[in-house]
Amino acid sequence: MEIIFDHNADKNNKIEKSIEKFLSKVQTLEKKLKIPIVIFQDGVNNSYYIKCSIFTSVVWNLFDFDARLTIDSPESFRANRELLLNNKTYLKMKEDAMDGREFNDIIVEFNSSYNPAKPLKIWGGQHRAHAILEAKNDKERYHGFRIFFDLEKKQRAELALISNTNISVSTDTFDRMLEETMFGDVLRKWCQKIGFLSSSEDFPDVGSKSDKITVKLARSFIVNYYSGKDQGMKIKIDEIDKNVYEPYLVQTGVIIDPNYKKIIEEYGNNILVDKDLLEAGKAYNKLHKTQQNAVKNNPNIQNRKSFRNKALVESVICGWSYVVGLLQCNKGRLKNLYNISNTSSKILDPLNAQEMSKFKHDSDPPTYRGLGTRSSLKDRQRVAQVFLARSLYGTQILDKKLLNKAVSQVVGLLTMKKGYVPNA
Amino acid sequence: MLSFREYLEYSEKHLKKAGEIHKSKNNIEWLLIPSILLSWIAIESFVNNMIDDFNQLPNDIFELHERAFLLEKKLKFSDSGDTVGNFYIDKTDEYKRIEDKIFFLIAKLSKGKKKIKQGKLWQGFKKFKETRDKIVHPKKNMEYSIRINEVEEFLNCSKEIINFISENIWGKPVDF
Repeated sequence: MEIIFDHNADKNNKIEKSIEKFLSKVQTLEKKLKIPIVIFQDGVNNSYYIKCSIFTSVVWNLFDFDARLTIDSPESFRANRELLLNNKTYLKMKEDAMDGREFNDIIVEFNSSYNPAKPLKIWGGQHRAHAILEAKNDKERYHGFRIFFDLEKKQRAELALISNTNISVSTDTFDRMLEETMFGDVLRKWCQKIGFLSSSEDFPDVGSKSDKITVKLARSFIVNYYSGKDQGMKIKIDEIDKNVYEPYLVQTGVIIDPNYKKIIEEYGNNILVDKDLLEAGKAYNKLHKTQQNAVKNNPNIQNRKSFRNKALVESVICGWSYVVGLLQCNKGRLKNLYNISNTSSKILDPLNAQEMSKFKHDSDPPTYRGLGTRSSLKDRQRVAQVFLARSLYGTQILDKKLLNKAVSQVVGLLTMKKGYVPNA
Repeated sequence: MLSFREYLEYSEKHLKKAGEIHKSKNNIEWLLIPSILLSWIAIESFVNNMIDDFNQLPNDIFELHERAFLLEKKLKFSDSGDTVGNFYIDKTDEYKRIEDKIFFLIAKLSKGKKKIKQGKLWQGFKKFKETRDKIVHPKKNMEYSIRINEVEEFLNCSKEIINFISENIWGKPVDF
């Protein structure tokens, strides 16, 4: 079999022999088809490597996930990150592998000096490699490898570093890409129509670094609005305050949230013409802008991002949109809630972010960070109750008394639900 | 308003200070008395706040007499006007004992162990209450002495009572 050095690689007999040894032990596509193997040399650290394709069933038994930086020390630092086998991205990767996806540019070192039964020490692409391992079925494929030979420790360390450094794609970007692919631009248009985004603007790459609504938040808004509306039609008006509601936070990442998918499949472009939904969105956008301006322009409020963007906290947007949906059948209370942007001389921002952040119920652990600061169900339930309580009044501001009342209601109702014993 | 945790923390601070001064044989009653009271207030705060959770619920969730109890208002019988022949909750305060509030919470809203009056915890609570009562209702001919280890027991009793209620009502212990 022909082995040639790339014109940028210095000829090296030892390397050539190591590669011959590798090829004698491992069946590659190149060997099978008698395609010449090219030896490359890295321009930065001078390490040698080849590129080749290996069939799934050949490579299964050769992977070693415990690659060592110092090969003669079993205690050597394990450079690879922990495998995240329950991570959604990994689960999708595994599913794809089972369906016959080919993976490429998995970075390994051929080294038989330790654990010789598994000479392919993995440095880059360990999740892809693991997905290949788990995809033992009849849809086997050739996978692409970069295989390094005779590495010195320094070269190995650098390889480990560059293979484990990547520009992680944020879930917000991922959501945006997936939204566009799966459903087109309806969500973006909806956000542009109500003012969450300007006319030529897209969702931000990383929501936490932005003042804009993300795909996840916009999806949550719509899901909660329709869920709340649905719930509101099922219960009597005078029963509304006797329940604890569970605003929903849509899943993010590689899997499209089933509740969101269902709603978009049901309503599709109609969300762009649903007047009540548009009104709800516009009212919330007004609240968000008022909150931002209040925090920016009032020296008496700390100009903290978490205060400015209180309306973009997951529990707040979920709670509000759910309650707005719930109150669609009670226009009086709905109108009260739409007046929430009002402030007073004492409480300068409509969401009273400072008071919310200080809030703590006796049942909360000492580490609790305040109301409307998290995405947990508990926080979503409480925030929904705050807005529900707020909707009882025309001009009430979100003061400490109202927050106490709302959270006490949630705690009281949940306790009652666990078991109230009437008189014997 | 302070939280029950803060009252307990202040009680502990007084007790700690008392422990330091006690070594030099100085008088420490001026620290032990507030420590006892703060431990007691922690229970009062915790129980009253829990009661208030139920006071915030819609009016028709509890029976009228239960609601009057929770609100600490008098339940009266109307003998005139539009409400004649009916019971109603009057505006007059009718304060309840802390132990009655605890009994109510455990009896009505606990699924767990309800025999609070049996066992060491309640014995300790009664002793704690007696001492507290002597402090807040002093009389010329009533003598009492307070030892530092008793005050520590009262502080622990306060935490245990709070935890007992929390576990029975919320199904989880409290982080102090």
